[in-house]
Amino acid sequence: MHNIPSEIVRVAYGDLCYMKHNLVQTLVSTLVGPLLYLLAFGYGMRAGDTEYIAYVIPGIVAISSMNSGFSSSSQKIVIQRLFHSSFDELILCPMHTSSVIFGKCLMGIIRGMVGGLIIMCLGMLLTPGLHITVWLLLAMLISSIMFSLLGVAAGLLANSTPTLMMFNSIIILPMSFMCGTLFDVSSLPSLVSDIVWALPLSHTTSIMRATADCLPVDYISVVVILAYVAVFYSICHIVIRKKLY
Amino acid sequence: MAEDGEGIIRAQGLVKRFGKLTAVDGLDISVSKGEIYGFLGPNGAGKTTTVRMLTTMELPDEGRVWIDGYDTKTEFIKARRCVGVIQQQNSLDKDLTVRENIIHHALMQNLSLKESKKRMKELSDIMELNDRMGSKVETLSGGWKKRVAIVCSLIHNPDILFMDEPTTGLDTQSRNLLWKMIRNINRKGTTIFLTTHYIFEAESLCDRVGIINKGKLIAEGTPEELKERVGNFALVATAPDGNESITYYKDMDTAKKASLDLPHDNSISIRPTNLEDVFLELTGRKI
Repeated sequence: MHNIPSEIVRVAYGDLCYMKHNLVQTLVSTLVGPLLYLLAFGYGMRAGDTEYIAYVIPGIVAISSMNSGFSSSSQKIVIQRLFHSSFDELILCPMHTSSVIFGKCLMGIIRGMVGGLIIMCLGMLLTPGLHITVWLLLAMLISSIMFSLLGVAAGLLANSTPTLMMFNSIIILPMSFMCGTLFDVSSLPSLVSDIVWALPLSHTTSIMRATADCLPVDYISVVVILAYVAVFYSICHIVIRKKLY
Repeated sequence: MAEDGEGIIRAQGLVKRFGKLTAVDGLDISVSKGEIYGFLGPNGAGKTTTVRMLTTMELPDEGRVWIDGYDTKTEFIKARRCVGVIQQQNSLDKDLTVRENIIHHALMQNLSLKESKKRMKELSDIMELNDRMGSKVETLSGGWKKRVAIVCSLIHNPDILFMDEPTTGLDTQSRNLLWKMIRNINRKGTTIFLTTHYIFEAESLCDRVGIINKGKLIAEGTPEELKERVGNFALVATAPDGNESITYYKDMDTAKKASLDLPHDNSISIRPTNLEDVFLELTGRKI
């Protein structure tokens, strides 16, 4: 068990080399989406409203950690499984299943953290109310881990690229808009608002907004996020151990 | 705890089904330490599925596998430490360079970075890969990719090397180099489990051969034993309409005598039997 951190880095070595080769492309693709959100929602729709910009930036950070975490992990695994057959090499290595799972998450976690931090730094320049606190960093970390795990699970279960794209369209994209990232969900009909509450991005948005504004964190959100982490991890574990991919 | 028993690779009652198709049907295998074991069969016979189960990539529906005494179901990490695998399909990371691929494999086998570099140097010297270390794998030809895959599979000095149709798609030069290399690593004590559908490869490389057809092991033994079972000489008679018939005889004299009884308009040849004949005799079809 004590080898797991070292094994995670060993598993991730290939992905980290890939990221090194494509550093500029990785950074650009991580930042373009969040910057467009900031431009369109922060400046296009509510021009000059600094209060709204302070509101929307933690939401954009949450979207960024979700998109980066999910897409990095899922796409790489789908390519390795279905096109390069190199995922078998991971399964053949004498390592714990947890190391394989978290090793495949590492690139998504790094991308999620870097993207989120850049957006937060930009936000701090634009509006004085935001702070990068240790709690915010922890919130970004746990959010990136959760969505990277979801990406690994989706990458393992998708039997084609269109299936993964469909998952992205029906789960990830609606969450980006509906989970309190860009507007207050209390204005939604109660049924929709209840559904939205159950989605993981609502809770990462909630804790990021609280930690960036130095407000008390809703601990129910922390519990819900940890429950999602456990569920996504368990799915990955079962799929790998039972070779259901 | 590793179990003592005969065979560094042992499988008992292996079954694998894909929907209604039974790809592997009650397979028992035992391969001794230091052997080159050939697993011969036509495409779709169940060779790759067997290798995937033996190497822990696939779970059997029934049966058990022991690698160096370790049960692959419960002690898969220990079992995996003992094996290197060269898969039929190239499984390198095409986005990475040759060096990065090899180092990644070494790290995944728990070697330190220093050890990884040392082993990489040794093996890339043998495989004449030094000039290609900085090249991206996707730019290499099939033969070079195979060399990289071999280095990756041997990086942790495994006791057992599984090779799934390693020479398929290779040119003659690469194939000869690979055969030479297989003999060399076997001489150093590595047990080799090699699947192939090339008769000559099985005959010239393997100490023992198992013949698989429709998921079942239909014959097993040294190439000589298998050929003896059929007869050492094949009398091939081709009728004027092109129909070919083959009969097998223990020795050349009997075959010659039998050829005298054949119709005079037949074209006749006598040749030593090969494993293709064994397969033909057992199944009624060619590999």
